[in-house]
Amino acid sequence: MNILIEWFGLDPDQFNEVAMNMAAKDLSLVWILALVVAPLALWFFWTSLKRIQSPIRKIFLIALRVLTFAVLVFMLLKPELEFKKSHTLKNSIAVLLDDTKSMSIKTFPSETPRIDFVRRTFEKNRNMLESLKEKFQVDYYFASSQISPTSYAELGNRYQPKKAITDLENTFSQLRKRYEGKSLQGVMLFSDGADLAVEPETVSPEMLALLADWEGPVHTFQAGSNEMFKDLAIEELDSVDFGFIHQPVRLTVTISASNMGNKNIPLVLKEGNTILLSRIVEVREGQNQYPVEMEFTPGALGKRIYTLTVPHFAGESVATNNRRDFQVKVIRDRIRVLHLNGRPAWDSRFLREVLANHPKVDLLSFFILRTMGDDVASPTSELSLIPFPTNLLFSDYLNSFDLIVFQNFSYEPFIDKKYLHNINNYVKQGGAFMMVGGELSFQGGGYERTAIEAILPVQLERTSQPFIGESFHLQRGKSLLRHPILQLEKESSANAKAWQDLPELNGVNAGLKPRKNAHVLAEFDKGNKNYPVLVAGRVGEGRSIVVATDSAWNWNFRRVGEGGSGRHYYKFWNNLIAWLTDDPATRLLQLETDKERYEEGEDTLLRIRVLQEDYNPSIGTEVNLTIKSREGEEITETIKTDDNGEAAHQWTPQREGFYTVKVKVDVAGDKREADVGFSVFSETAEFQKPKVNETLLKRIAEVSGGRYEVLTEKTDLSAIKFPNPKVEVKTHSKSISLWDNWWTYGLILTFLFLDWFTRRKSGLS
Amino acid sequence: MRNLLKTIFIASLLGSVIFPTASDADYSSLSIPQVKYQGGQPNPHPTAISSLLGQVARRTSIEVNREPLQIKLSDPNLYRYPFIYLAGNEKFESFSEEELHRLRNYLSFGGFLLIDDNSAKANSKFDTSVREMINQLFPQIPLQKISRDHSIFRSFYLINRVTGRKQINPYMEGIKIKGRTVLVYATNDFGGAWARDNLGQWSYDIIGGGSRQRQLTIRLGVNIIMYALTLDYKKDMVHLPIILERLRRSHSR
Repeated sequence: MNILIEWFGLDPDQFNEVAMNMAAKDLSLVWILALVVAPLALWFFWTSLKRIQSPIRKIFLIALRVLTFAVLVFMLLKPELEFKKSHTLKNSIAVLLDDTKSMSIKTFPSETPRIDFVRRTFEKNRNMLESLKEKFQVDYYFASSQISPTSYAELGNRYQPKKAITDLENTFSQLRKRYEGKSLQGVMLFSDGADLAVEPETVSPEMLALLADWEGPVHTFQAGSNEMFKDLAIEELDSVDFGFIHQPVRLTVTISASNMGNKNIPLVLKEGNTILLSRIVEVREGQNQYPVEMEFTPGALGKRIYTLTVPHFAGESVATNNRRDFQVKVIRDRIRVLHLNGRPAWDSRFLREVLANHPKVDLLSFFILRTMGDDVASPTSELSLIPFPTNLLFSDYLNSFDLIVFQNFSYEPFIDKKYLHNINNYVKQGGAFMMVGGELSFQGGGYERTAIEAILPVQLERTSQPFIGESFHLQRGKSLLRHPILQLEKESSANAKAWQDLPELNGVNAGLKPRKNAHVLAEFDKGNKNYPVLVAGRVGEGRSIVVATDSAWNWNFRRVGEGGSGRHYYKFWNNLIAWLTDDPATRLLQLETDKERYEEGEDTLLRIRVLQEDYNPSIGTEVNLTIKSREGEEITETIKTDDNGEAAHQWTPQREGFYTVKVKVDVAGDKREADVGFSVFSETAEFQKPKVNETLLKRIAEVSGGRYEVLTEKTDLSAIKFPNPKVEVKTHSKSISLWDNWWTYGLILTFLFLDWFTRRKSGLS
Repeated sequence: MRNLLKTIFIASLLGSVIFPTASDADYSSLSIPQVKYQGGQPNPHPTAISSLLGQVARRTSIEVNREPLQIKLSDPNLYRYPFIYLAGNEKFESFSEEELHRLRNYLSFGGFLLIDDNSAKANSKFDTSVREMINQLFPQIPLQKISRDHSIFRSFYLINRVTGRKQINPYMEGIKIKGRTVLVYATNDFGGAWARDNLGQWSYDIIGGGSRQRQLTIRLGVNIIMYALTLDYKKDMVHLPIILERLRRSHSR
């Protein structure tokens, strides 16, 4: 062979094998030539040689033609010599190590976690595994719902039961893809078989099909057993992500119990340390699952974190599945509005329509239809009037309202003065109050020196003030143009035009003096005297607004008469409602997370927006951020707002749990705080089907021709065998053509020349 | 309370002296202009509305402006008055397309129209004109009888029958848009029962009934006005139990 290599001018050290290959891909032409054209041509030629008497010449000529056709066929086959270098490869063995959470489950009576059976087996069989490396390429993988490569050396540190889901079918699919074109001669699988994708004690047909044509055996080693498996678990919990305040939230819970005996078990729902609800579940031998329906009513807004628990009994295999945390974002389903009208009038009629048509408002209206001085000329039984339920509204149910509106309403004689203090407290504790003007509002309603005056953003001048019946266009406060109440349109020029196009108002309550920190959003600018018409202010935790006119309905009905629409009238009141009820978009410090809940290891993003009192962005403001876990770990950061008054902070929680973010800012001496909660969930599905799946592991071994074994302290892997066929691999090669050269072409020409010469000598043309 | 209102009223008057735009000062009060039209007799009982408003002021907390007003549908001030009254006893000329368009918009976006046939006759020429007009106004929405559980029958008084100066029909008819009744048509000559002469005496006798019938007609007028100003609030859950109990008692008598 070396002679051949040298003959073609190649380096004998670079090649150790030679082979002849035919490069022709389409052989049909060769077959046509060899089987049809050549025999026909030779027969025709033989008949044309009758005039030649010498049989030797005839045979010589025929031989020349045969040789010519042979060379032609040779050329069409395109033969080439391939010189190559190849070497023998080791066959591969894949070792799969289940590192899902179920591997942390203890096996009784030894109380050994399943993963420790694997670790001990590896420790005990270290020599065997080392020797296996001499014959095979041994590749180690962690296996869960996918495979991730590791090495024997790394097993000590990295092999931890942390992954969320076992899916062996997917694991084997990935393995097959990884070894495509390679020689995988066997698999060793160390697992509890607790595959979430299959039902206990079953094997999927897809899995069996996958293993049926598996190249080598799959030896399965079962970690742990179901002997004495004792567990009480909250197996399933169905709850909503969103709930409504004061509206019941329904929970569907499934409790599972294995070897728990006969017990009455309390299932407890808590928020923090407060027990919200408790149910007794009667656990009985012979029954494994217990569905439980629960219902609770959230009492506060925001992201609320609840915990559902069953007691943890001695000897339970899994402790973590006795508790389930879940989060419900509690929002307002409806804004409850109490609307009191001093008398039926167009202003209250049109505002009632706004409130009644607001998709989020639950409206309770009262109109004072008659006063004590009115003569109804009828017995009470023929009237539809009902007694004004003062005590009910302003004592029992006051806190269930989100907004109280007094529209042209004089409290006497309908509301006792003591209830005005209740309203005062309600607002200071976070409620909302609005007084809409008219003759019976403000001083006209006798509110000077009352608890209501104390929550208004205006002070009432003590001298008797007229209700001024003059027409005027409302002027917006120039420094508060970005206030959310004044945004009838998104774009500022469109917004300015919208205000300009609003019809004029008629009538304003005089004698109102804005308080120090109140915002005069709009006023009647009468040259030398300004009358505040729209004033907003914060009172304790709550908000209050004054609309000192009873003619805002002009912006609706009269605007329609002018060819416009009542859209901006509706928008105006909706803005007021949003601001009064502390809609998040109207806050001066806004804090939010990019998601409601995160998975373990996922980045969290906190977004902060800081606005000045006039709702312009607060630029370059320091934001002090504190992230606190439920266990008390605390992280603090200081970041600054950008030109839009915005700042963001990205952070990766190290472990599952519930976190609170508190943000503090100081905007020109105004100290503000906001907080938001979020949860980092660790997938606990592994503990929902915690039992060892013997059937699955046995069938995998059986179908693939492998061996099934339960891991014990004494497990010896030396009996495990794998086929080890010789596998050669070509590293490089060089091909040299045998037909595409002058030798071949010259040979054909020589044959044709000899044919021509012999024919001439024989007297043929 | 009345003294307080008087004080405020006087204060308002003082205010109107300081800021002299008297017509604007009426915005808080209820005015009911009467619709002017061509042909027929658009104002057979000139004092009817003023008299009704007087009753409203006496019986309820509504502030009224009793000054008689007449308005054309083409009047630019039409939208200052969300309640208008159309009465008559003769055939009248059809409204123009432009007037019908304005009236349609007026009613669709918050206005209220009370139509009162003062002829005291069944199938009168006024009735024919009214039905033609309504057919042109809302061709897709036919007039329908107003049911007894409508808020009109419980907005102030609890009423279980429709009366008038002469009972032509035991019902009123109406048109509803987006849940709100925007037009009420009565054929029993309400205006005749409401009207008073200059001396304060009733202008017309009640036909087929006595003062009770007149009182019931006044109550109906009060309720119609109350409905226009408060809509369906009497159907709010908080009001229902008491109202239903009273209705049950009145039926059981």
